[in-house]
Amino acid sequence: MGLPDLGRFSDPSILILASLAGGKKHGYAIMEDIESIAHVRLGTGTLYGAIARLEEYGFIEALPSEERGRRPYRLTSAGISFLREQLISMEALATLGLRRLATL
Amino acid sequence: MNIYKLLLRLYPRVWRDRYEEEFLVVLASHPFSLFEGFDVMRGALDAHLHPYLGATTLILSERIRLMLSTLRRSLLTMFCAYCSFIVAGIAFQKLTEYHDFAEAAQAHSLVGFSFDLVVIGAIAALLAVLIGGLPIVAAVVKDALARKRYGLLFLLATPLLALAVFISTTLLLEALAPLGTSTFLTLLSRGIFVAVFLGAAVASTGAVCFAVTRSNIPARLLRFAVLPSLLMTLSMLVMFVATLVWGLSLCSDVPQLFNGNEGMFGTSTSGSWLRIVLVMAIATGLAVFSLMRGCSARSALRKPAR
Repeated sequence: MGLPDLGRFSDPSILILASLAGGKKHGYAIMEDIESIAHVRLGTGTLYGAIARLEEYGFIEALPSEERGRRPYRLTSAGISFLREQLISMEALATLGLRRLATL
Repeated sequence: MNIYKLLLRLYPRVWRDRYEEEFLVVLASHPFSLFEGFDVMRGALDAHLHPYLGATTLILSERIRLMLSTLRRSLLTMFCAYCSFIVAGIAFQKLTEYHDFAEAAQAHSLVGFSFDLVVIGAIAALLAVLIGGLPIVAAVVKDALARKRYGLLFLLATPLLALAVFISTTLLLEALAPLGTSTFLTLLSRGIFVAVFLGAAVASTGAVCFAVTRSNIPARLLRFAVLPSLLMTLSMLVMFVATLVWGLSLCSDVPQLFNGNEGMFGTSTSGSWLRIVLVMAIATGLAVFSLMRGCSARSALRKPAR
């Protein structure tokens, strides 16, 4: 699968996908989850810029609103594949980096 | 209206239709901060530059219609930016037509080179506008004749009418208030001259834009026009930088001329140059922004909807 260019939204997008890998969530819950797992506070503009791109690329999909203004999102199969590719690549980089650090 | 709703208004309508409710809930869930305000404004700029964001849930025909409409608006905004740039360019031409400036251009290579670049840029930009614009104007004429909407033809003829009004007014002013008359009459005459010139420019640009907005333009012509628009915007960028360099090199090489009163209507040269540069900067910025938006809409037209 070709990887889309997410520009400055690349990191927030991975964080959102990783958050949704734990189950469906609405915008505010995603923001809170990211803050707890990655200690990163996304601005609302950045959060929705990334959500809009992920929806456009078909990596996440919106579910019917549970209540007013709380529309949950979930990963699609394309989103799961994309996230897996990204995480495997990060893991390979982390392993390499740690191995090099060990030689110092 | 609270600050959140005000900030949300910065986003495009389609984006708001899709995300407004949940966006407001997230915004209101924590105290407002400057960082948040800046982030939302940056998000709004991003949403304008990528008009397909928020259009994911639209049906294919609606999405294509939206992207075409965005592309048309972007092209028209670029055309307006070009016309504003031309007004500044005419002022620059008036500023540099005196003998002193021609001498400075010959004696100082950077002054002369930057002036030549402005001329080359002006020719390139005009060619680009003609290449991209003439097929669209032809489509407006064809559409007007096919649908018997002759008002559109009148709108297209407005620039010629405006030019006629401008020339008539100039001749009239020359006859009524020739050089050497009282200060009040001279000031009044210059005021009328500038007002008619700007009015003619605005009316001409507005009429052409209105005619294009009201006509059925084939999508392929709009898509094609993006390429000449790229050349036009690059030319504007070159002219803007060249005008900036021209002023700075004049200031450094011929300071007595730059600090004198050789500007428009005998005003400060540096002041006239600064005003021209400011208008060029705004027009170029607007053209770059619209080009990016137009390119984004054009590429979204090629993508199949999910």
